[in-house]
Amino acid sequence: MSRCVARRGVVLALSLIIGLSFAANGSVEAQQPRKGGTLVYASVSGPGTLDPYMASSAVELEVIHNLFESLVTLDARNATRPMLAAKAAASEDFKTYTFELRKGVKFHNGQEMTSADVKASFERYRRISPAAKNYEAIDHFETPDPYSFVIALKEPNVVLLDTLKSPIYPLMILPASQKDKPARDIEVIGTGPYKFGEWVKDSHLVIVRFDDYVADTGAPGRDGYGGRKTVYLDAVRYRFMPEATTRIAALQNGEAQLISSIPSELSARVTQRKDLAIREVFPVLGSYIIVNSQKGLTANVLIRQAIAAAINVDEIIEGAGGLNKRNPWMSFPGTPYYLGETAPTPWYDIKDPARAKELLKQAGYKNEKIIIETNSNYQWMRSTMLIVAEQLKAAGMAVDVQITDWTTNAAHMQQGTGDWNLSTTAFGPDHILGPQQWRPMIYTFPHIVGNEALDKAYGEFFVAPTLEARRASWLKIQKEVLGGAYLIKIADTGRLSGYSKKLQGQNDYAGVLQLWDLWLE
Amino acid sequence: MIRIVAVKFLQAVPVVVIISILAFLLLSLLPGDPAVIIAGEQASPAAIEQVRKQLGLDRPFLEQLTIWLLNLAQGNFGSSLILHQSVLSAVVERLPVTLSLAALSISFTIPVGVLLGSVAAYFRRTWIDSLVMTTALLGVSIPAFWIAILGVILFSVQLGWVPSSGFVPISQGAGPWFASIALPALILSLFQIGFLSRMTRSAMLDVLGQDYIRTARAKGLSEWRTVGKHALRNALILIITATGILLSAAIGGSVIIEQVFALPGIGRMVVQAILARDYPLVQGTMLILGFTFVMINLTVDILYTLADPRVRHD
Repeated sequence: MSRCVARRGVVLALSLIIGLSFAANGSVEAQQPRKGGTLVYASVSGPGTLDPYMASSAVELEVIHNLFESLVTLDARNATRPMLAAKAAASEDFKTYTFELRKGVKFHNGQEMTSADVKASFERYRRISPAAKNYEAIDHFETPDPYSFVIALKEPNVVLLDTLKSPIYPLMILPASQKDKPARDIEVIGTGPYKFGEWVKDSHLVIVRFDDYVADTGAPGRDGYGGRKTVYLDAVRYRFMPEATTRIAALQNGEAQLISSIPSELSARVTQRKDLAIREVFPVLGSYIIVNSQKGLTANVLIRQAIAAAINVDEIIEGAGGLNKRNPWMSFPGTPYYLGETAPTPWYDIKDPARAKELLKQAGYKNEKIIIETNSNYQWMRSTMLIVAEQLKAAGMAVDVQITDWTTNAAHMQQGTGDWNLSTTAFGPDHILGPQQWRPMIYTFPHIVGNEALDKAYGEFFVAPTLEARRASWLKIQKEVLGGAYLIKIADTGRLSGYSKKLQGQNDYAGVLQLWDLWLE
Repeated sequence: MIRIVAVKFLQAVPVVVIISILAFLLLSLLPGDPAVIIAGEQASPAAIEQVRKQLGLDRPFLEQLTIWLLNLAQGNFGSSLILHQSVLSAVVERLPVTLSLAALSISFTIPVGVLLGSVAAYFRRTWIDSLVMTTALLGVSIPAFWIAILGVILFSVQLGWVPSSGFVPISQGAGPWFASIALPALILSLFQIGFLSRMTRSAMLDVLGQDYIRTARAKGLSEWRTVGKHALRNALILIITATGILLSAAIGGSVIIEQVFALPGIGRMVVQAILARDYPLVQGTMLILGFTFVMINLTVDILYTLADPRVRHD
């Protein structure tokens, strides 16, 4: 359910672009909300599609999450909470899930949402979405009445709700009329607090307040992606500005009140102005070195561990730039699957060339070249791998750095094609939800085949009835993945966003851009 | 005259065909699989293969090329994989932006470039000549990306004269349109002004040394008429040629400018299409741009013919 990402969000980038938060001084704004006005948000690029079932990039999701809603979603602690479902319950054997839908919820076309729409949405999702395999185990759906929806599974699944709340390829509920629409060819009709306005490709996109929005009154206020959402803004205008300098200029001269992705070296242009502020959105992604376990030298675990032993995380953090914090785990602190202060394996940030040499000797290494592939699109990736190359050289390895474009680099990592041993990317935000989201990435990127211990740990995870039992399985998984140096963790990363102090009502949840409960002074 | 135009037009046809084949060949050499991008990152190999079949990417290369050429012959440029619209409509949508940019930059370039070049030639080997030529050298040397960013900071942030980015169609008013496009066009014209002023200086120096200029002066014609009418008119042939090159360069140079100023033009679209391996969009756009360049050259040839009677006799 997760995917690899580029840190600065283009066509293939996936990240939590903006998590609106408190003002930089941390004080909670106490002003009375004011209705009206258009917020201009300068983003790095426009969405490719507004079909939620095909959407995985940040620039798509930061529009989609304001237009559409799902049955369940993430709360402010990234746990599951209901959204269009008033209640969601699993049977004791985890083979049946029953959803009680909220009544009176309206689509943007004025129709009421019923279980027929939910069923049609699931059916369309299973037909067209790249993430449809997450729902292969579904046997059938039932709609006993307009407000009840039942999923019957072929086999137990203890984490179905965790999967359903995923913000990537989100299973948003669409009107039943969209059921047979081809991928990327829907009418943009959801139940979200904003409805679609206009979209001029490469220029701007406008969403407007949905006045008939039916908020979740069962919640006291906003809560992550859910809760009681209130819309004060008349409209939000997304403007697509690929260059950071231009986005900052738009913020400085008042053309935009909110901008995404500010390079750290340019942040002073915002902080020097009293009417503007900058915010650290953290954590957003986790950065990793990807080791191709099906390619020549790195098929040998000793070589992989030698590479891990040579890595100096602090050097990489310093050289790659941006907002980074050390974390040996594959989950963010404060999330349900974060397992503590100690490291899961002794392989994090060893920076021990002598040990690396010893491991190379054991592996029978004969100065063959380790091929490092990176790309010219993302400076942090290129810098990271150039630093890694030097660290490997210092540990006695021969390296060959090959630089391509991101599209090729990403395709090589995902498909195992190309001639590479090492590469890098960042994962997020889906993996914050748990090991079930991590699984495709863990197997796909380092191309793990035939690791029985890992397979067994995942097998245990998917039938573990309690969170504690699942956490124990997750520890085994991480020991296998990081200990076997299939993935080498670098750091948790964040991003900087800029805003005008006229923009009020932000909170500190680092989710995909959420435009409810905001207002302009 | 009509025969000359017809002949030149027919000569352009094979060029366009070669451009279309080259576009196809170049793109096929790029690594990366559009089927993966379209199917989605978590798509199964079977789903990716299905997309590949839908796109015809599983067919032999020559078959793909033949289909592409046959479609072109019927005026079908294909459909964009990322924009989900026909290539032709995607280009037509963005054409006003790129054309606005190119046309306005040329309208800055020609008078300024010709004037500076003429002044430099007239005052050759003086400090004025040195100043103009040094400025021209800077114009052709300074990277457009860097000067564009400086332009945004100065004219948009510091002075607040123009917006930092975005395009306003002329249908919404000439004033807002001009404000949105003036700075990008000015930045784009800097290189061209440098180029044209050097070309003009060279052409004018050549003409000013001719016997008929000396004769005109000996007859007592004013300097203004001598230089402005006789010399400049004869230097015009070279300037027309240069303008054709500049217009093509302006369309090509718009890629960087559109990126910095967030203008929804063809250049920006092509960059995104290449990154996403949107084969039909890149091929179609390259072909349309190629055809545009051929038409520009054709127009230049015709103007050349009109400006210089000797060419017609050839």
